[in-house]
Amino acid sequence: MIDLSSKLEKLSLELVEKNAHLYKVTVKLENLESILLSFLNEFGYITLDSINCRDDLEEGLFTITYCLQTEKRDHVVMVQTSIDRENATLPSMHTLWPQAEIMEREMHEMFGVDFPTHPSLIDFALEYWEHMPPMRRDFDTLEFVNSMNPFRDQRGDNLDVKVEMKKRREEKKAAKLKAEQEAAAKLAAQEQQNPDSEAQNNE
Amino acid sequence: MESGFHGSDLDSSLKCKLEESGMANTHAIMEKAVNWFRSRSIFVVAYGTGCGAIEMPPTFTSRYDAERMGVVGVATPRQADLIILSGYLAYKTLRRVIRTYEQMQRPKYVITLGSCPINGGMYWDSYNTIKKLDDYIPVDVYVTGCMPRPESVIEGFVLLQERIKNGEKAGWQKYDENLKFYKDNQKRVLGGHIDPSYETDWYNLENGGVA
Repeated sequence: MIDLSSKLEKLSLELVEKNAHLYKVTVKLENLESILLSFLNEFGYITLDSINCRDDLEEGLFTITYCLQTEKRDHVVMVQTSIDRENATLPSMHTLWPQAEIMEREMHEMFGVDFPTHPSLIDFALEYWEHMPPMRRDFDTLEFVNSMNPFRDQRGDNLDVKVEMKKRREEKKAAKLKAEQEAAAKLAAQEQQNPDSEAQNNE
Repeated sequence: MESGFHGSDLDSSLKCKLEESGMANTHAIMEKAVNWFRSRSIFVVAYGTGCGAIEMPPTFTSRYDAERMGVVGVATPRQADLIILSGYLAYKTLRRVIRTYEQMQRPKYVITLGSCPINGGMYWDSYNTIKKLDDYIPVDVYVTGCMPRPESVIEGFVLLQERIKNGEKAGWQKYDENLKFYKDNQKRVLGGHIDPSYETDWYNLENGGVA
């Protein structure tokens, strides 16, 4: 990794070590294309793992991260840049790494980032999406869901478990009490009858 | 209770003939016989929309063997009587499901697996899935569970068979009767981007496509 940091110093960039396999470079948007080109052609980062977008709503920025790997696959370098959130525009990288085409299509759909030089900026996973891009943080998912798909009405026989269990316990208690009382009454009645039966037995 | 025996023109002419020849009861008997046969030869197109797709291979293969009840898988929706929708439905899937359902020939039935088509299940707050499937196409049997085991799926088949045998009113009749309700709901969530229905006159699309 030391040779990469020395190479980057010539471009007046700083390589930050996140851990033994992960490094980060922060670049300006206007230098992004040339730096990525030198990463591919000069430093040998032939693989683009992913392009990630983070919505920094408070700062009004999108933070874009390009994850790059060499042929050895022993570490990942993240090339990070920030773009304006309201007027989000990025150059397309599909000429450097062909797989960027589909990643950029996804980013366009989920965050609304525009790619003027992209060859096929059509629908990716969503179809005919007319609302705000759904991964933007100011997209109110819950409100959208409730307006599009309200919940089914509760069933008429949908009962509250706590209330029902309490009711059932009380019913059980009352039934037990009633049974005890009945048994006691029966016993008393038997005791009243008993002297007669005993008398009959004696006869 | 309305009969499940379909083919109204043929039906009424046959009824007249039978009444003329003094065999009015024969019609009812035939209807019963047809329903009995129909309940024992359900051809299924399994549309694996969600995680429930994995429950269908054991249901149809030798372990649980749904074929012993006459439930057989077929290749295309045009040959099928029953469509199994096995899980949550995204808007994108719903568009294809409606297309598939409309391709099926009547009588046709729908079984869904899992909680998601009933009330969204664990995807209730997703921006991209529907909650109540019966707003968009009629559902005959909901097999609940997350996911239901093949035994439950087979119980669903048995319930459907009973209903067919008794000649009960099925979902496809509701769909035909309340077509406007279903189409309005479909348009509401799919934004009008749905294919023309199969009742469309494809040669006169510019005149509204009404045959």
